[in-house]
Amino acid sequence: MADETREVRYDYSRLIVPVGPVHPALKEPVHFKVTVRKEEVVDVSLRLGHVHRGIEALAETRNLVQAMYLIERICGICSHSHTTCFVGALEEIANAQPSERALYLRTLIFELERLHSHLLFLGVMAYEIGFDTLFMFTWHSRETVLDLFEEITGNRIHHSMNVIGGVRWDIDHRMEEKIASSMSKMRKAAQYIRDVFQDKTVEKRLSRIGLLDHNMARELCTVGPTARGSGLKMDIRKDDPYAAYGELKDSFSVVTRTEGDAYARTEVRIHELFETINIIDTILDRLPSGTIRPKETVLRSMSRMPQGEAVSRVEAPRGELLYFVRTDGKGGLRRLKVRTPTLANIVGLRYMLIGNEIADIPVVVASIDPCLSCANRITIIDREGGDARVVDLEALRRKRRWSF
Amino acid sequence: MVVLVMLLGAFPVVIFLSLFFEGIDRKLYARMQKRIGPPIIQPFYDFVKLLNKESIFPVTASKTIFASVPIIAAASSILAAAIPLVSLATGASVLGDLILITYLLAMSSILVMIGGSSSGNPYGAIGFSRKVVMLIGYEVPLLTSILALSLKSKFSFSYIDVVMTQVEIGTCFALASPGAAMAAIAFLLCMPAATGVVPFDIPEAKTEIIHGYLVEYSGPYLAFAKLAKDASSFALSFLAFTLFFYHPPLLEDFALMGRLISIILIFIFTFIVMFFTITIPRTIFARLKIGQAFKFYWRYPLALSILAVIFVNVGL
Repeated sequence: MADETREVRYDYSRLIVPVGPVHPALKEPVHFKVTVRKEEVVDVSLRLGHVHRGIEALAETRNLVQAMYLIERICGICSHSHTTCFVGALEEIANAQPSERALYLRTLIFELERLHSHLLFLGVMAYEIGFDTLFMFTWHSRETVLDLFEEITGNRIHHSMNVIGGVRWDIDHRMEEKIASSMSKMRKAAQYIRDVFQDKTVEKRLSRIGLLDHNMARELCTVGPTARGSGLKMDIRKDDPYAAYGELKDSFSVVTRTEGDAYARTEVRIHELFETINIIDTILDRLPSGTIRPKETVLRSMSRMPQGEAVSRVEAPRGELLYFVRTDGKGGLRRLKVRTPTLANIVGLRYMLIGNEIADIPVVVASIDPCLSCANRITIIDREGGDARVVDLEALRRKRRWSF
Repeated sequence: MVVLVMLLGAFPVVIFLSLFFEGIDRKLYARMQKRIGPPIIQPFYDFVKLLNKESIFPVTASKTIFASVPIIAAASSILAAAIPLVSLATGASVLGDLILITYLLAMSSILVMIGGSSSGNPYGAIGFSRKVVMLIGYEVPLLTSILALSLKSKFSFSYIDVVMTQVEIGTCFALASPGAAMAAIAFLLCMPAATGVVPFDIPEAKTEIIHGYLVEYSGPYLAFAKLAKDASSFALSFLAFTLFFYHPPLLEDFALMGRLISIILIFIFTFIVMFFTITIPRTIFARLKIGQAFKFYWRYPLALSILAVIFVNVGL
């Protein structure tokens, strides 16, 4: 093999630039094969699967309480969204209604999480365009929210707040005041961030970049801020309220932009910061009294879980998160299916990237706020034939030879 | 002969000062971002650390060019700082050394860029093409503004003659006439691009093309490539200060303590120039795109420097 010489013909007009799986612009592994002509992007192919962890299959081998622990670890940013969605499905199956206070607290953590997720996004966006000062500033503000998490739940990232039929931690009067004062601080920080993002150099880098028009956004089934940046007015919190959003409907509005570029998607998130702060203030005003969780133990409520199935969806910071849950009636799961928002949005990336410059690749990729470890699926690529196929669960089971 | 010995003696001084200035720059940059920042001697640690690290040569690289280029680049940018330093300390006049200095500075950029593209990495190639565009963008106004100065000092391209003209007229060029002031502004505007910092760090944008031409360098070669960058930013700040802001009443009144205080003062002012042209822009701006940067340079600094030449010619 070694002495076999191959004639290599280079096409110098086109250059294939590998972006990822390890690249300073990407916080998580994903592979883009970008074909460029001079500085212009002419084609993109995308490959996921570098950090596939098999969580869906793993959750099916565990009982509900263990599964909850596992599901929280699907995402390090929107961990509470995942458990809220999961718990929503379980409560529908068991026909259990959490108390009002529990729902409000669940929503409170949910919105704090949106706040920290959006601040994280804005920091990453600033970093991608080389604006390190703004990056440092937004992440400094994000610390305020993380500190609140730590005080409320004891954890900064994985809050472990949800249990079946309620929440785990209550807040007292002193904590309410602390959240309220932090929120007024956050509002000031958000105003400052909004002003800095209107800076000319930022606008030059972001506007008219990564265009996704209204029709294409609908056709590609984009969700969340990506869709709202293209003028699609969709928000699960309004359209299909869960937790306490039914009663908080009037305290926020859905932010949309019609430009459909990276700047619009950034702006949507900046304005959602203010909406989120409004929701949190309203929650603190209206917080009902009562118990936060049922008296029975977790194990009991788990063992009383009947056989059934439910679909649940929530508006995670990155968009609609969808769970399909089927319980086996013995305290375990028969099937779990997770559709994360990034998986819905990432197909739009190819359309957004083509026609832009190399300098825009990190900006466009960051503009959908990808959370890649949520979005990984197994694809097996036949290197000889070059065709790819996605492995379904049955094949995975056969490969694994585990018994159920 | 004495000048040659002093020139060699100036090498460690330039290395020390350029690393030290980078340390202060990083500290101030961090403080402006609400960070604590690294200790001021961090660049020295980095330099020594990198010298002791392993070097990896990519199989696609042409080894001789790849390995020799950073060392020559570092040597030429240190020389570009050492010549004006020695020339100012001894008062020795060399015919046309101003042209030599500007070429040495351009040389260090071109060399590192060639090294990057010789690595065979596509990011190095993109960095190369971007750097070429940037060079065309900023070198022309930079040279034109220096031309305006030499016209001002009886068409002499000797560094010390230009400085001494300021001593003769008793004030610095930036305050002397509108033409020279325009040249000064054009020169200062070119500095962020010449040193490669945000908003003009396009050839080595780390989120876009992973440090461009530096992508395959490691170990001692990376240390020298970084030293070349530090030394050239020191050389540029030093040139900018002594050519445009050498204000004799401020610097020459220390007869008692001799030249020591005035040299220390010169270094302090050099740092101030560096602070305003390198540290501040990289704190308050986002990175531009290559087309935007090029348009900027051919619109404002070039127009300013050409205007400066015209103004100086008509005697303003």
